[in-house]
Amino acid sequence: MSTAISVGDAFASRRPPSMASNTLCIARRELRDALKSRWFVLYTLAFVVLGLAVSFVSAAGTGGTGFSGFGRTTAGLVNLILLVVPLMALTAGAATIASDRERGMLAYLLSQPVSPVEVLLGKYIGLGASLLAAISLGLGACAVILSWRGGVSSPQTILWLAGLSFVLALGMLSVGIMISSLTRRASAAVGVAIFVWLTLVFVSDLALMAGAVALHLRIDELFALSLLNPLQVFKMWSLHAIDANLDVLGPAGLYAVEEYGRSLHAIFAVGLSAWIVLPLVVASVVLARKSPL
Amino acid sequence: MLALVGLFMTPPCTAQEHAAPRDVSPRAAAERELGPIGRLLASARPGDTVHVPAGTYRGHLRIDRPVTLVADGAVVIDGGGSGDIIEVVAPDVTIRGFVIRNTGIDLDQENAAIRVLAPRVTLESNVLQDILFGIDLRESPDSRIIANTIGGKRLDIARRGDGLRLWRADRAIIEGNRIHDGRDAILWYSSGVIVRGNTAHDCRYGLHLMFSDNVTITDNELAGNSVGVYLMYSTGVTLTGNRLLKNRGPSGYGIGLKETDRFTVRDNLIAGNRSGVYLDGSPFTDAQPGIFEANTLAYNDVGFTILPSSRGNEIVGNNFIDNIDQVAVAGRGSLDGNRFWKDERGNFWSDYTGYDQNNDGIGDFVHESQTLFENLMDKRPALRLFLFSPAQQAIEFVGRAIPAVRPEPKFTDEVPLMRPLPLPTWRPDVPPSHSPILVAGGSLLALGVSMLALGYERRRSGDGSSGEMPVRGAE
Repeated sequence: MSTAISVGDAFASRRPPSMASNTLCIARRELRDALKSRWFVLYTLAFVVLGLAVSFVSAAGTGGTGFSGFGRTTAGLVNLILLVVPLMALTAGAATIASDRERGMLAYLLSQPVSPVEVLLGKYIGLGASLLAAISLGLGACAVILSWRGGVSSPQTILWLAGLSFVLALGMLSVGIMISSLTRRASAAVGVAIFVWLTLVFVSDLALMAGAVALHLRIDELFALSLLNPLQVFKMWSLHAIDANLDVLGPAGLYAVEEYGRSLHAIFAVGLSAWIVLPLVVASVVLARKSPL
Repeated sequence: MLALVGLFMTPPCTAQEHAAPRDVSPRAAAERELGPIGRLLASARPGDTVHVPAGTYRGHLRIDRPVTLVADGAVVIDGGGSGDIIEVVAPDVTIRGFVIRNTGIDLDQENAAIRVLAPRVTLESNVLQDILFGIDLRESPDSRIIANTIGGKRLDIARRGDGLRLWRADRAIIEGNRIHDGRDAILWYSSGVIVRGNTAHDCRYGLHLMFSDNVTITDNELAGNSVGVYLMYSTGVTLTGNRLLKNRGPSGYGIGLKETDRFTVRDNLIAGNRSGVYLDGSPFTDAQPGIFEANTLAYNDVGFTILPSSRGNEIVGNNFIDNIDQVAVAGRGSLDGNRFWKDERGNFWSDYTGYDQNNDGIGDFVHESQTLFENLMDKRPALRLFLFSPAQQAIEFVGRAIPAVRPEPKFTDEVPLMRPLPLPTWRPDVPPSHSPILVAGGSLLALGVSMLALGYERRRSGDGSSGEMPVRGAE
């Protein structure tokens, strides 16, 4: 609770603070709390260990041949990111506001001269920074190991993966915070977040596959529908960025390249950033209107 | 024997009239002003060697007597963007060392840099640039096309011509040429041709055989085309020691075989293609099994795509390394008619999970390919969209865990090899430098650590600095 007091102490200041400084102040508190928390340490460790395992196993399978591009290592890393990063971001976001509310912390915060939007943005930025730390530590360790082991990934690949993972994490964090703003109890929020994670990772893809088979979806419909899932967007974007080529994804990928070509980057960017903006807007509306208690 | 002067070199201003030089009779041509090369040729007797002095010549050239034409230094013949450039109508002509550039772009007229209508020509060490069709041999058996560079116009693929085309040119030798930015290098009805040591990139079909029998294709590198080698309706073709890399067009086969018979594919490196090998109705008869031996198929989206119509292939002793889908059946049916092992010898499969207890180099368990997702992908290619996603793993897991949904194995290799065969033709790219990725990883780590420092530094000095934290509305 010492952190709460530190914000309260800010009354002592006589300078008229701006919205940005309020937000940053809360962001710092959030980052500090996140780095202290068990989930951060756990997830970062898991990410590093799994990433290294994937890199080792994949490099062993190929035996260091001169072929670059979308290799087995990259595929393994993409798969790992698709599993871990959304889980990390969703649960981090879901825990934050709901647990504050549960402890009475949110009421206390909002009783200070800060607006709900500032609280929200502050939490978002702080948690986002902690996720950035986790992702860059995890992938950075993988890259160092890969270079030492003579892996075939190029530096651009790792940098693209890190950047896109961060965007994906921001989107999932936004969804997590929205869940958090809508639920009363932290445990419920985390439960919902895990359900959403399961849906995005497995259920929606499986449903879309079943739909494609049962309803004979055309490939343009299939591609459009897959854009609704941020994880699919992340996957297609990283393939596109690393290989400049989606034809490995079969007819739908070929269709996407031929139909949209250069604007694919923009399409994927819009597809992912919508997941950052929209849930945050919902969360701020909810926080502003609903009684936080 | 009395073929008289029929060569002309025209100044560029009259080039337009010669957009279709084949319509111009030799006599009419002879009446025109002869260009410098034309004058040289006009005085040459059959069997002479004509040396063309260095310089740039514009216009079109017709060679109607058996001479050897040699460039002395840098000789450029520029077609001025219209018609064909050189037309050879006499046998036993040799053209060596020229730069020939800038044909017309009329696909109906098939504007070519060198068109040959006679047997036994030799085209050697020429550089063809900015051309629609490159070398077009019509009814010219026993010709030799050696060490030319053929670069097409960078047109849309539908508007390009063939870099190299042989029509009824039996026993031709095509060696050491480099072809790029063309449509196809194509053999029509040409038997006994040897294609050796050529490279083709950024074309549609790197090499295309139509009804051409007993062709030998060795040591070529066909990379970055739509399709590497496409064999159609041909018999007795041998493909050895070629490198087929990253051919990823809409069909994207390393080697495609359509209704081809009595073929041998050996010692090729087939990597990074959309489909390494594509088998459609091949072998066409049961005269001889289709032989695939000692090839390395690596990192293709699909290693072998086999249409159920293909029966009687023996695919033995190959390396299958990390193809996303090692063997695919296109359409309904099975691969029962094809063998993946013979006489105690199978293939090397990078996804083989068995072991070798008695150390004889052969896996103790049968290798069966039966992953559920691969099966789904083969039936419905659109589902490739879900590759690399956790849902794919979920499906594979279900396929392994629940026998009821486990698909029938696509094929069986009873004696899989434990170790890959040596790769004699392996020539990896320049070994990747490790420092850039080290820098990338290091900077990522630094970013992470600085984030940590930001958080922890604040905690240490938290209480001390908190008094200065600005909060709005404090007045």
